[in-house]
Amino acid sequence: MRAERSLRISHVGLRGVVGAGGLTASHVLDFASAFATFLQTSGPVILGRDPRASGVMIREGVVAALNACGRDVVDLGVVSTPVIQHTIRRLDAAGGLSIGASHNAAEWNALKFFGSRGTYLSTAEAGELLDIYHLKKFDFMEWDRIGSLKLEPSAIDSYLDELGEVYDLAALRRFKVLVDCCNGTSALILRRMNERFDFGFILINAQIEGVSFAHEPSTTRRMVALQLAPLVGPVGADAGFLFDVDSDRVAIATDEGQAVSEELVLPMLADYLLPRGPGKLVITNLSSTALLDEVAGWHGGKVVRVAVGRQAAIDALSCYRPEQIAAAGEGTGAVMMPRFRFVYDGIASMLAVLSMMLERGAKLSQIVGGYPAYSILKGEVPLVSQQVPALLASLQAQYSDGRATVTDGLRIDWPDHWLHVRVSQTEPLVRIICEQRGAPPVALFDALMEQVRSVA
Amino acid sequence: MPAREHLLKIGVSGIRGVVGEFLTPALACAFAEAFGTYVGGGRVVVGRDTRSSGPMLQHAVQCGLLATGCDVVDLGVLPTPTIQVYVAATGARGGIALTASHNPPEYNALKLFNAQGLFFNNYERGELIDLYHQSAFRRASNEEIGRIAEDYQRAPEMHIARVLRHVDAGKIRARRFRVAVDGVNGASSLMTPRFLRDDLNCEVEAISCDPTKPFPRVAEPRPDTLGELAALVRRTGADAGFAHDPDGDRLAVCDELGRVLDNDDVLALVVDAALERLPGDVVVNLTTSSVIDDIAARHGRRVWRTPVGEANVVETMRAVKAVIGGEGSNGGIIFPPVHLCRDSYTGMAFLLARMVSTGKTVSELTAGLPRYYRRLGQAAYEHGRLGSLMQALEERFPDAATDRSDGLKLMWPGRWIHVRSSNTEPILRLAAEARSEEEVEALLRQIGTEVP
Repeated sequence: MRAERSLRISHVGLRGVVGAGGLTASHVLDFASAFATFLQTSGPVILGRDPRASGVMIREGVVAALNACGRDVVDLGVVSTPVIQHTIRRLDAAGGLSIGASHNAAEWNALKFFGSRGTYLSTAEAGELLDIYHLKKFDFMEWDRIGSLKLEPSAIDSYLDELGEVYDLAALRRFKVLVDCCNGTSALILRRMNERFDFGFILINAQIEGVSFAHEPSTTRRMVALQLAPLVGPVGADAGFLFDVDSDRVAIATDEGQAVSEELVLPMLADYLLPRGPGKLVITNLSSTALLDEVAGWHGGKVVRVAVGRQAAIDALSCYRPEQIAAAGEGTGAVMMPRFRFVYDGIASMLAVLSMMLERGAKLSQIVGGYPAYSILKGEVPLVSQQVPALLASLQAQYSDGRATVTDGLRIDWPDHWLHVRVSQTEPLVRIICEQRGAPPVALFDALMEQVRSVA
Repeated sequence: MPAREHLLKIGVSGIRGVVGEFLTPALACAFAEAFGTYVGGGRVVVGRDTRSSGPMLQHAVQCGLLATGCDVVDLGVLPTPTIQVYVAATGARGGIALTASHNPPEYNALKLFNAQGLFFNNYERGELIDLYHQSAFRRASNEEIGRIAEDYQRAPEMHIARVLRHVDAGKIRARRFRVAVDGVNGASSLMTPRFLRDDLNCEVEAISCDPTKPFPRVAEPRPDTLGELAALVRRTGADAGFAHDPDGDRLAVCDELGRVLDNDDVLALVVDAALERLPGDVVVNLTTSSVIDDIAARHGRRVWRTPVGEANVVETMRAVKAVIGGEGSNGGIIFPPVHLCRDSYTGMAFLLARMVSTGKTVSELTAGLPRYYRRLGQAAYEHGRLGSLMQALEERFPDAATDRSDGLKLMWPGRWIHVRSSNTEPILRLAAEARSEEEVEALLRQIGTEVP
């Protein structure tokens, strides 16, 4: 992937392929300077990164900018994004930064920003940060008020302490669990759990790697099927989990070696969390599975669907009191739970799945097999024309027998199936998703793809 | 019109300014990107003095170097000459020191070294500044980005080993000198007491040798800023007192009576010590005292004069294969067999060795130098007036021999005047020297109406 024209500066932060025409040192310095200028509360800024080689370069720039603006920096080194968010709260920090491109390929990198509660910035806050970045008027301090850098190598242990308050680690360690770490930060956490709590995690792709990952670091069924699922049976594991590089997402393989759809993670956790209360709401986006609505119905819960993208979810969360919410997440394996702060956390999600197995005394394959089958088809078409709004209008007319939602593109719901057509926020693509309870809605999907191709 | 307040200077001597609004991390990073592009990747050494802005700027510089595909070797806090020796000795592509040398603590700067560990010369600096302005930097991809390696131990060892090769350390050790040190809490704070105590067996009385504290005095080591050192020498009965600037390339010396020597005299003593033992010529800048000419004449050697600036002196030293050189007024001693850089450690070792070989005290050695009287001054000037000022001076003194290689130097037997514009600050520097106080005063009176 060439760096050229990959740079994207938006409400979710700074992202791009590192190199010429992409993400450069000066973007990093300016963005980190803007963040330091933006922060209102006193206190240090927590910093961590995923293992990408470019992370070291970006770290140097971020430390320089934050210190220059008078902020002390606590650097956690190579850690998962949830550990950074946890540490922000633990140390009463002013905010934090995560350097890492999560599920993107190794040549990408990104800066993600957190406020003093350890959560992503709201859209309004992110807008203010962007304005400061564009103005380039930063609060650089004089020589005697420059901040300093402190290293904090034991952040993972404190994070595990907090996990231990929520989950019964002593009971969960009985499971034999196979994990594909995709050369990312989950390896550090799980190895430590083996040492400290005598867990039996068996790790593959556990070498921390900065340049080439064992496979595409996305938490999809396709990636689970690649290396993890075929090994679960032979090693006799109770479950298999796959994490993305910064461990905020998780995907699942059953004890029988079945690669589970990434769409199933959120419904499973909703099924586990809704009966525990008090929250009755599950916040998700318009593109995730309708199984979630069915599962929520079992427990008297309600699904709130918002536009696709992290920012819409973050803004939706702030509309409710924490105790109203059972879970929030996407169909990508990114789930946040009120029991373990509102941050996407793959490790916490895994522990919730294991707890579910423990409490129900059921095998993972039995739990997964207990859900009605839904079939989802996903496609994408390059966006080249300006005809998409007209297309959406004609689709809405064509499928007027369904219930239309136009919050983000067009979603149409029927009792047992739905479709969603929208323009991607991150790439010049039109995304098409169809789902049906039971067999895949092939005819609808094919027709839709054809229609989109003809105009997009 | 008063001169503008000039808090940032990006030019042929690199980048220097007041940290904060002026010298920002973004500027330092971009300059390091230009440097990394210029050296074309490979290993680049980074070190710094003890300024509070040092770590912040070092991170910015390391960011820029990594972004251009360089590997970084972080030396931490070290004297500038030690960083230069390390660059040369380890085959690095170049080096950057974060130090504003003798400037006050609110300043910082980037000093740039080539693969030989030498200051960038005029051509290199010109090319680098062009690259900086073009912003056409090398941009490493994820897999081309290198690493930061720390090496805090080896550089002082390499440097000291080189110095000790050129003095009879055994004899110095046997004398058990008592030496007072003022490290200005700078980059030499740890290394100098260790060198004197461990390598030369001196009894060390040290003040201001805490690298974590701010500069306790005016950073430039001059007779008028070293009162504390002089008092320490008198109180402890030390044989000598040594003082550094924050980055440890300069050396100031106090005799056993508590009198701080003129920096030109320090250079003269070290030149004398070198010429006593080794063949070769001497190179100094135009502003350095005539005492050097007299000393060289005693040994039958030639003195070459260059424009002010370490890079200029070093260039000529290389060209004429000089045995020793330096810059008088700023306490810089350059001895090529150790390294072609200003090196206070060579200065200390040579001076102690000279005390051993002659059996004389510092004051006795100084008394043996021809006596000159010097005045240094500076003045703000308006752009565009410099040329006419030089011309007017030249016309007023038709009997003087002239050198126009750096400003204007007017010379008569036994006295001279040198007027030039500073490389680092927007000021006019003036130096005058003669055989007596009266003659210097007269010289200054004569030019008084021309120089603001």
